[in-house]
Amino acid sequence: MSIDFKKNYFELFGLPVQFDVDNSQLAVAFRALQTQHHPDRFASESDEARRIAQQVTSFINTAQETLKSNRLRARYLLSLSDVDFDDERDTTSDMMFLMSQMERREVLEQVPNAVDPFDAVDALSKDVKAENKALEQAFETAYDAGDLEEAKQVVLKLKFFERLLGEIKQLEEKLEDEAL
Amino acid sequence: MALLQISEPGMSTAPHEHRLAVGIDLGTTNSLVASVRSGEASTLANADGQHLLPSVVRYLESGEVIIGSEAQAALGSDLKNTIASAKRLVGRAVSELKTLAGQLPYDFVETEGNVPQIQTVAGNVTAIEVSSEILKALKSRAEESLGGELTGVVITVPAYFDDAQRQATKDAARLAGLNVYRLLNEPTAAAVAYGLDQQTDVDNKIIAIYDLGGGTFDVSLLRLNKGVFEVMSTGGDSALGGDDFDHLIAEWMLKESAQQDTKDAHLLRAAMIEARRAKEALSDNDTVAVTLGDWQGSIDVATFNELSESLVKKTLMACRRAVRDAGIEKEDIADVVMVGGSTRVPYVRQRVGEFFDRPPLVDIDPDKVVAIGAAIQADLLAGNKPDSEMLLLDVTPLSLGLETYGGLVEKVVARNTTIPITRAQEFTTFKDNQTAMTIHVLQGERETVEENRSLAKFALRGIPPMVAGAARIKVTFQVDADGLLSVFAEEESTGVKAAVEVKPSYGLSDNEIESMIRASMENAKHDVEMRRLREQQVEADRSLQALDAAMTSDADRLLNESEKQQLLAARGDLQVARDSDDAEVVKAAIKSLEKAAEFYVARRMDNNIQAAMSGHNITEFES
Repeated sequence: MSIDFKKNYFELFGLPVQFDVDNSQLAVAFRALQTQHHPDRFASESDEARRIAQQVTSFINTAQETLKSNRLRARYLLSLSDVDFDDERDTTSDMMFLMSQMERREVLEQVPNAVDPFDAVDALSKDVKAENKALEQAFETAYDAGDLEEAKQVVLKLKFFERLLGEIKQLEEKLEDEAL
Repeated sequence: MALLQISEPGMSTAPHEHRLAVGIDLGTTNSLVASVRSGEASTLANADGQHLLPSVVRYLESGEVIIGSEAQAALGSDLKNTIASAKRLVGRAVSELKTLAGQLPYDFVETEGNVPQIQTVAGNVTAIEVSSEILKALKSRAEESLGGELTGVVITVPAYFDDAQRQATKDAARLAGLNVYRLLNEPTAAAVAYGLDQQTDVDNKIIAIYDLGGGTFDVSLLRLNKGVFEVMSTGGDSALGGDDFDHLIAEWMLKESAQQDTKDAHLLRAAMIEARRAKEALSDNDTVAVTLGDWQGSIDVATFNELSESLVKKTLMACRRAVRDAGIEKEDIADVVMVGGSTRVPYVRQRVGEFFDRPPLVDIDPDKVVAIGAAIQADLLAGNKPDSEMLLLDVTPLSLGLETYGGLVEKVVARNTTIPITRAQEFTTFKDNQTAMTIHVLQGERETVEENRSLAKFALRGIPPMVAGAARIKVTFQVDADGLLSVFAEEESTGVKAAVEVKPSYGLSDNEIESMIRASMENAKHDVEMRRLREQQVEADRSLQALDAAMTSDADRLLNESEKQQLLAARGDLQVARDSDDAEVVKAAIKSLEKAAEFYVARRMDNNIQAAMSGHNITEFES
């Protein structure tokens, strides 16, 4: 009834250890595990059984969120290959990449001045997502070729995109608030 | 028939007896009751064949209480004794009603307690009592139709209902002599009604529930898969609904008839009734004739759409946010389910259809869908369906985070994260030999510490002396299935630990949760300004430090006395501007210091062989 915490997240959901993830298969496996282990299923049982259920479902939830996010999944794959990350220090040194990030930010700053800011932010979001996707493909190529150092560099870049997408999201919320 | 039901004393209940359970949709405008019979859920009608019970209660001088259509008919004539929007009042404190009272025709009584009372000819009544009258009427309707006493009920509430409102709804049920199995959120009930948990062929389907009822708007995104309902995100507005469309038409008519300044309660009520009739008629007609007293006019669809635009837009903004919170794209949504009578308004359907880029589902009567879902859930909880695998996964209603440098909040667990969850984040020390670190736990969506709810503050002590940035402090948030939060902090290289248990769902009432969400929407602009100011202040500090460091190292060599004074003056200006409350002022001061220091930067650069540094600002000369 309990699950094996030693399993890696991919094994937990019965998925192959690779970047490409079948999201519907992940969702199905996630829900199957939740249906089995959720504390609600142990509502009338002992405190201990509920505590175990709580621990197990936390693990399941974390595993699912890690595999659901492309960046976290990429990073997790590298950690399985003993590639470590130092969040405080690791950063990309690719100047061209940093320049293009700055350009994106300038576009972002100009969004509120656009004729239709919502169209502008949607267009930017679409572009950024497309670039993000290309990076993810670059990760997959590097990872599959066994070039883990290059793969790590791509993951560091993905973090920039995640932040940029977060800022785009914040701007969208701000625009919505102002439109109300 | 009764003669055939012979049973031994003490064995009156058969083990597999089908228990009578119903679902009740206690609505702002209309209420319904439904039950599962022979495996089919359907709403129950009264003797006249009416399914919808208008949520209107009239108190007569004799003490008699009239409920439903007959009471509704008296809205124009006996408005002070005819209570229509009890759901908007239920669970509200006297202080909260101050703003609402002005819009309602009732005489509120000043009472010592915290539950407001409405004065009627039959005495003072509370919204709880008014609601219980509606529930009593539905209970007797159900018991007559089903031929027995009810074992239990499921009552639906808007997803945004706070703790007080939920508790008051339960109190009303108790007053009506009902056993409440549970309160169910309306959007969830709607999803249950569509039987989507029964669709074993569909693996993974995202459904948007757009629920525009009489007095509330909710949008929820649910993921449905083989009996498991997962709430991905919710949003909405607990003070927006079909009544507001009526208000807009009523206001328009009063303005058109040059009576907009009237204080005549009868005229206002007549305008509301006429407005509702016009709204409903406009669903099938391009133009509708309207009368208000002696005034006669007409309203067309275009005018109504124009009036409705701001309301519809508000609902779509909430949809936009819910989609983003769920981390999906609009295209991922398989179906949009329309709930609530107001979704009959063609313009609402049109705009919702345009927004989600697909025609919304209106298969089940939008008035009945919630009651039907509640009936299915009631049947389940009554134990009539022991093999069901239906499971509702819950999410965190508000983000949880930690205070970081500059009084900003770093979110650790985002709102709408599936619980239970354990989330760890690593932090480090800012100063050399720092031996303690304060862990300040916050809840809310705002960006600065002061404007979020502080849940707990504790210190991690005994960190061994290390250079800044060398310590690895892991802070772990653990939210259990009941929404209770525990926070642990640990310095990883030495294993020094500290922990605290905080209880957001008990320490923070749902009422506060709602108002905090509201405040985050209203104050987002202010937040952004605060953040910008903080950022500029951090930037200013950096510039000041960079200049100081540079001057300490080579000012004597590279600058003459007047140049030094000139720079120090500009430095002084920034030092003063830094504490201003306007980000632009700080920014301008940083710029002018940078400008004043340009020659110095250039000189340092010439002095330095690294020509590649050109174009950099002074903050980059720190190291």
